[in-house]
Amino acid sequence: MKSILGGLGRKKLPDYITDNISEDLIRLEDLVKVYDTGALKVLGLKRINLTIHRGEFVAIMGQSGSGKSTLMNILGCLDRPSMGHYYLDGVDVAAMDSDELSLIRNRKIGFVFQSFNLISRTSALKNVELPMTYARKNKKLREERARQLLARVGLGKRAEHMPNELSGGQRQRVAIARALANEPPLLLADEPTGNLDTAASVEIMELFSQLHKEGTTVVVVTHEEEIAAFTERIIRFRDGEVLSDSPNVPREPRGRDSAPDAEEGIELRDT
Amino acid sequence: MLIENMLMAFSSIRANKMRSFLTMLGIIIGIGSVISIVSVGDTMKGLFEELYRNIGITQAYIAIGYWVDDWRESDYFSLEEMERIKEIFGDEITYIDTDAQTSADAYCARTTVQFNYTGIDYNYQEVQPINLIYGRFLNEGDVLGRRKNVVMDTVSAMNLFGVENAVGKTFRTTIYGTTDDYTVVGIYRKEMNPFQAMMMGANTEGGEAFLPYTILSWPNDFIYDLRFFCRDEETMDELCANIKSYVARSKDRQPEDFQMVTAKEQMGQWNSMLGGLSMAVGGIAAISLLVGGIGIMNIMLVSVTERTREIGIRKSLGAKTRDIMVQFLTESAILSACGGILGILLGGGLVTAGGMLMGVQTVIRPEVVVLAVGFSAVVGVFFGLYPASKAAKKDPIEALRYE
Ligand SMILES: Nc1ncnc2c1ncn2[C@@H]1O[C@H](COP(=O)(O)OP(=O)(O)O)[C@@H](O)[C@H]1O
Ligand SMILES: [Mg+2]
Repeated sequence: MKSILGGLGRKKLPDYITDNISEDLIRLEDLVKVYDTGALKVLGLKRINLTIHRGEFVAIMGQSGSGKSTLMNILGCLDRPSMGHYYLDGVDVAAMDSDELSLIRNRKIGFVFQSFNLISRTSALKNVELPMTYARKNKKLREERARQLLARVGLGKRAEHMPNELSGGQRQRVAIARALANEPPLLLADEPTGNLDTAASVEIMELFSQLHKEGTTVVVVTHEEEIAAFTERIIRFRDGEVLSDSPNVPREPRGRDSAPDAEEGIELRDT
Repeated sequence: MLIENMLMAFSSIRANKMRSFLTMLGIIIGIGSVISIVSVGDTMKGLFEELYRNIGITQAYIAIGYWVDDWRESDYFSLEEMERIKEIFGDEITYIDTDAQTSADAYCARTTVQFNYTGIDYNYQEVQPINLIYGRFLNEGDVLGRRKNVVMDTVSAMNLFGVENAVGKTFRTTIYGTTDDYTVVGIYRKEMNPFQAMMMGANTEGGEAFLPYTILSWPNDFIYDLRFFCRDEETMDELCANIKSYVARSKDRQPEDFQMVTAKEQMGQWNSMLGGLSMAVGGIAAISLLVGGIGIMNIMLVSVTERTREIGIRKSLGAKTRDIMVQFLTESAILSACGGILGILLGGGLVTAGGMLMGVQTVIRPEVVVLAVGFSAVVGVFFGLYPASKAAKKDPIEALRYE
């Protein structure tokens, strides 16, 4: 019975989860993604070679349809490459089965979507707890950490709220708190500000800057220059290929006093 | 994790209250009917058992078989023969009489009441406890001396005399052509539940009285049958067989030529008939559980499709195949078990209400209840397997793209 119910036994985690093997957090070698839509095959990505080091803050830019999301989904282990290799922390994920990929997503990757993707009718707190639930963390620890994370993104008082009771910016902050739940080394965000107004977008990017400063590797997809300006490296895509890849001097995040959401305060520096 | 899953299941059941209820309906009706049918069967069994215990489970009748063509005078019994049987089998039979009954009008002042008379021996009370409230029972002197004394129940006394305590009162009646005055020496109270009244016939207008069997049976009478009570329920079958073969031998016949009816055997027949009936009807009711299970499978498939995106999100956060599988299985099991519990409440409620209406104590066995809830959960798990595995196998990116 135990094995069906799950979570009662505790297995040792595999090495590819526990070890940080490589300085190159992401290494893509001749990566190709082909979408087979029956009649015609669409080349989503054409032989991408790319390395992102541990601790970088990268923006991926490009026109709509240039392959940004395709890349992010592969980086996030949500999708698999058609050809080539993707080494995440030195491990080729192409060879992994779906449960191994689940484990990777759970421990190594925090993914932030344009459309937030919170689970409806489930409180902010429970949403943030979810990755820890799947990591079999105990209830007390889960809740404690979820509250900390929500406080950190300035939603300490909104923990019990349902997603439909929150604004877009607040929802995205819940999603970020959730992405950080298991302290992943890699944070991926596919147009995280795409559905937000400028003020909320700036808040989100400041949050990413802060996380980057604390050592998390952050990759953000955007087609807005102002958003990309927060990052330290900008990679431009066109038609599934890398058009350019150049460093960027990041825009300084504002101080705490100028935060628009002064009542709640974004407690970036407190934690 | 299990608790987490159960909470999730409850919240998703609550989110679609009407739909969940309609889905459960099949299980509710299925379990409800199984519970009520089994309960009705058990209740009836209990009632029959009580009925037969009341009339005496060891009671037996012997007579020449109705299927025998060439009846002879010797096939009947005589009082002498009865005495002989009493002597031979005296250790094992506690009571024997000629099963004599007759009916006649009884007159007292201006009242006339149709009476049924049963002839009994003085020790009848030992095998058939009678709740005597006034006077005394018939005694040996009454039987041996053919005294015209009777014992009747309170209702008969009321009908004939207008009072319950009619001890000492007399009435006139004609038995086998002879009109005489009879004296009431005892009054008893009959206690019957409505089921017994229905099965044995409640006396409301007429009269019933016990009198010495010696008044109804004379030494040269041809007695059709003998009735006796056995001492031991366990060994009575053997005793009856022995009596049968003794009687057959003494009448120069085969044992198969005699019919023997015992209360124990009749009760056994009722029991097996009721058992078979409730098995059959319960089996049919169980088919509705199958239909209920298919209903659950159907709604779970809809739910899985509706929640494709949720499944994608969960997988993107690290849910494994098994996590999703268990989540949906828990949901369908809980859905079904809730249906089972409601079904038990429904079935139990109906049976209890029906029992109260008929004034009968109903029987609902706890093991049947536990079995029913367990079975409905199993139905839920079984029919949830396919939808749950469909959910668990979804590709994360496909599921996230689902609109
Ligand atoms: N699931 C899919 N099936 C077929 N073609 C797809 C699919 N997803 C993306 N594509 C195609 O791949 C190309 C890149 O798309 P995408 O990565 O979504 O671009 P971006 O995110 O930069 O707007 C586009 O031409 C798009 O039509
Ligand atoms: Mg895109």
